[in-house]
Amino acid sequence: MRLRASIAAAALIGGAIAAYLTYVHYSHTVPICVSGGCETVQKSKYAELDGVPVALLGLIAYVALIATTVIRGIVPVFASVLIAFVGVAFSGYLLWAQLGPIGAICQWCVGNDVVIAIVAILCVVRMLTEPTPAE
Amino acid sequence: MDRNRIYLLAAAGLGAVVVAVVLIIVGIGGGSSGTTTNDGALVLPTPSLAGIPQHGDILGKPSAPVTVQVFEDPQCPYCREWNVDTLSSVVANYVKTGRIKLQYRGIEIISANSVDGLRAIYAAAQQNKLWQMVDALYARQGEENSGWITPDLIKTAATVAGADPAKIASATSSAAVNTMLKDSVDAAKAAAIGGTPSFVVQRPPALPTQLQLAGLDPASFAAALNTVLQ
Repeated sequence: MRLRASIAAAALIGGAIAAYLTYVHYSHTVPICVSGGCETVQKSKYAELDGVPVALLGLIAYVALIATTVIRGIVPVFASVLIAFVGVAFSGYLLWAQLGPIGAICQWCVGNDVVIAIVAILCVVRMLTEPTPAE
Repeated sequence: MDRNRIYLLAAAGLGAVVVAVVLIIVGIGGGSSGTTTNDGALVLPTPSLAGIPQHGDILGKPSAPVTVQVFEDPQCPYCREWNVDTLSSVVANYVKTGRIKLQYRGIEIISANSVDGLRAIYAAAQQNKLWQMVDALYARQGEENSGWITPDLIKTAATVAGADPAKIASATSSAAVNTMLKDSVDAAKAAAIGGTPSFVVQRPPALPTQLQLAGLDPASFAAALNTVLQ
């Protein structure tokens, strides 16, 4: 129970970051930024995936992760690990883009990287330790 | 430890890699839109600028009562998007009809390579081909920070824009270009521009107003512009 609550709490933080960046995207406002590169990153082509803001995809992913914490069973556990792993892989790609082609760092993206990494670790622990209802 | 869980974990890892690779491929492929010519450059559905008065960085009739400053960076994908999706309708509905004139305000947002493009753009202004040059550069826009704005690309873009490439090359460091660059930076500071594209509407004696856009599409732009023009 505590593990699921931890996953939900971390996903909530990640979801808040994603929701803020989604708002910034659609409102065409400038994100609050201390790293200096947020706007450059937000306006780069890497901020969208075939026209869909990656922040919105992240928000959907975090909502799905939270949903998996309220359901018991191996299917939601597997789904949470899969979503978290995809998140980690895609965040890694976006981090590479910031360090390489874009040449600017967005603090919100780095914050998301940390959150999704924590969520992934917690989801793996959950998969390895949580008993299924049948067990 | 349950061996099945280990297998599931491995399957999730494998599945995640597949999904992530697909997403990345979609991301790379979806980075640009438009049709391509034989020389690989994108053809932008920009308006025919023929017949529309152009003087320096101004597009439109000098008598137009309202000036809309267009703040752009030639490396900025969203600026290109606005040029592709919206500039045509703005020119047709507002510039051609004499309601507004557009003033190009090039500023460096992405990197120093942007300045190479801006110098070429302002050099084209000396031949009253600035807006065609902007178009021609967006048609060839490359990866941000990849150094795509090269002397060769500028030469090609200048030719396509109908400008004299040799004159552009010799004017990029001229005093006139330096002045236009400085004017743009000063205007951006005065209007507190934080990113591109941004649009500032000025109808003297009223103070300049930055357009608050819900989107860069023609409908959103027209709605915001109409609000200010009322």
